Amino acid sequence: MLSGKFRSALVIGGQGIRARKLRTFLSMVSLFLGVLAVVTVQAGAEIAERAMLTDVELQSGKDGTMMGYIPGEKGAPGIVEATLKGRADAVAMISSKAVIGEPGVRPINEGGMPFEYANRGGDYSGPSVYCDAGGVCQEQKPQEKKPDGQAIEVSMVALTGDIRPFKPFRPVSGNWLDFGSAPSLAPRIVLNEEAAKGLRMYRVPGEMMIEGATHHVSPQIIGVVQDGYGQPRVYLRLDELRTWMPAPAATSELDRFRGGGTGLEVYLQPGSDDLQQLLKAKLVGAGIEQNNLHFRVVNSKERMESQLKIMRLIFLGMAFLVLLIGVAGILNVGLATVGERVEEFALRRAVGMSRMLLAGIVLAETLLTGLLTAALAIGAGAAGLQVALMMFGSRFPSLQGTTFPWEAGVAGVIAGLLAGVLGGLIPAIRAARIPIATVMRA
Amino acid sequence: MTAPQVQVQAPLLQLNGITKVLKGQEEPRTILSGVDLTVHPGQSVAILGRSGSGKSTLLSLIGLFDRADEGQYFLHGNDITKLPERRAAALRSAEFGFVFQRFFLLKHLTAAQNVAMALVNGQGWSARRKRKQQVMDALEQVGIAHLAKSKPSRLSGGEQQRVAIARALVRQPRVILADEPTGALDTETGNLVVEVLLNTTRQGCGLVLVTHDHDHARKMGRVLELRDGRFN
Repeated sequence: MLSGKFRSALVIGGQGIRARKLRTFLSMVSLFLGVLAVVTVQAGAEIAERAMLTDVELQSGKDGTMMGYIPGEKGAPGIVEATLKGRADAVAMISSKAVIGEPGVRPINEGGMPFEYANRGGDYSGPSVYCDAGGVCQEQKPQEKKPDGQAIEVSMVALTGDIRPFKPFRPVSGNWLDFGSAPSLAPRIVLNEEAAKGLRMYRVPGEMMIEGATHHVSPQIIGVVQDGYGQPRVYLRLDELRTWMPAPAATSELDRFRGGGTGLEVYLQPGSDDLQQLLKAKLVGAGIEQNNLHFRVVNSKERMESQLKIMRLIFLGMAFLVLLIGVAGILNVGLATVGERVEEFALRRAVGMSRMLLAGIVLAETLLTGLLTAALAIGAGAAGLQVALMMFGSRFPSLQGTTFPWEAGVAGVIAGLLAGVLGGLIPAIRAARIPIATVMRA
Repeated sequence: MTAPQVQVQAPLLQLNGITKVLKGQEEPRTILSGVDLTVHPGQSVAILGRSGSGKSTLLSLIGLFDRADEGQYFLHGNDITKLPERRAAALRSAEFGFVFQRFFLLKHLTAAQNVAMALVNGQGWSARRKRKQQVMDALEQVGIAHLAKSKPSRLSGGEQQRVAIARALVRQPRVILADEPTGALDTETGNLVVEVLLNTTRQGCGLVLVTHDHDHARKMGRVLELRDGRFN
């Protein structure tokens, strides 16, 4: 239940605003820009943070995910596959290389580079040297140079389950891998945008050579996703790959040094400590050194926030300056209005109003003006965002599904209230000091 | 045999030796010097005097707009000489009704809203319907209920002053303090306004009227003249 004083302040404040519409409007104009600046900065920062986070999550994984790097040696891929089989709270990604197109030729983007840099020459023809752990180095035989042909090289990522709960890949076209169905003999693959770009640019035969596989395979392309990587990548089910690679590879140190062999990444949901311990125990038991097992919690947001904090503070500082101009507008109009309403205020005190309530009325007017302005600025900000998304949303996929952040709304309301208080305080104090005898001397 | 009952009516307000000195100038100027005044319920008092004789200052002291430098002020027998401002505001709302020479109606409000101003002053809160009824009763009392929705700019001087009187009456005060209420009105309208004010005394309300008009003063129960800060 509102008190009589509070109600009186609101009623009289509302009457004051209605009686001086033009003045209220004029004081709202400059304040509107100030509050809009605060709303825009806050909304921009929130949206930028979310967009950046979404992009980072594509590569690094969602915040809180436990991520593990495991060397692909001593049967580790097989151990990981067996341990994670049938589990929804953990997924392993096993990476290797594959070539799609003509067999036995040099791929257009040798090394799996982005197609932007393909066919630019710069072939390295020097000696290849390998140094072992003891520091003994020896020259390797140069690999036989293959003839140029119609093939593209991609990173091939085999998955033990659906990776999207950990890495929110954005669908571009087609479907994602279905892990519930029976494995297919012809592996179903999903391309990332760069791989799809390669297939669009070059007419290559639909044959895939997988490093370490026993035969060439004819994949079925079922979809394209945005995965945040600039290099061409294809994703497929590990069990469909196993048809062509029956035994988990136990690669040598030399293979790993050359960039070949198997890279293993494991993603565990937060709270999967038991599974992590089990996996480590099995891997250590297989002879992998504990020091080579690296697990860490993904905390991209925290890292990003510290980077964004300075930017946000700078922009908020600028917005605050604009807001101060709005406050000055309210203050100016407020002081002028108090000067004009000396008799009214004296009369109100004469009929029993306290100084405090009189100050409250002036503050209520500026607060209502500030809130009204904030509501308009927030509405304009939200509408502006919708228009911007309609116009430019397609150019920035990370902005898809973006909504007006509530934090910006709260910032706008706070800015409006703050401006109302700052702009109304001095006029309120002046109004409260008007002597009642003014009405007697008038 | 029983003794006859003597009913002694306590004074509504009583001022004893009130002195007010105007400071802040080169030399302090004594505006009121040892003024005594007693007003009983239903009594009307006219205060005459030249400009600068201290009439309005006395009224502002009675109405708790200002404080006396010396003397004592009793309201219903209670000493309110050194009342804090917050309680003074509550007393102004509950006990006093003010009528001024200029009507001080807010031009953006209707007659009814101007009257309701005295009810929406933070001293308690009544429901809208009750407020409306109180306002209409007060306007009825001064004979302009039909003008409730009119803005001041559409009212004559006499009508505006009656709206101001309705504003003073709406809280049913014990004392009406009127500072030259007919000063801006023609004789006929002035007489009408004085009649309306006198009517309030018939309902037990005290009336202190500051005026220059001897005809109006003669209609009051008592006439006092201020000269050099003292009653003659």
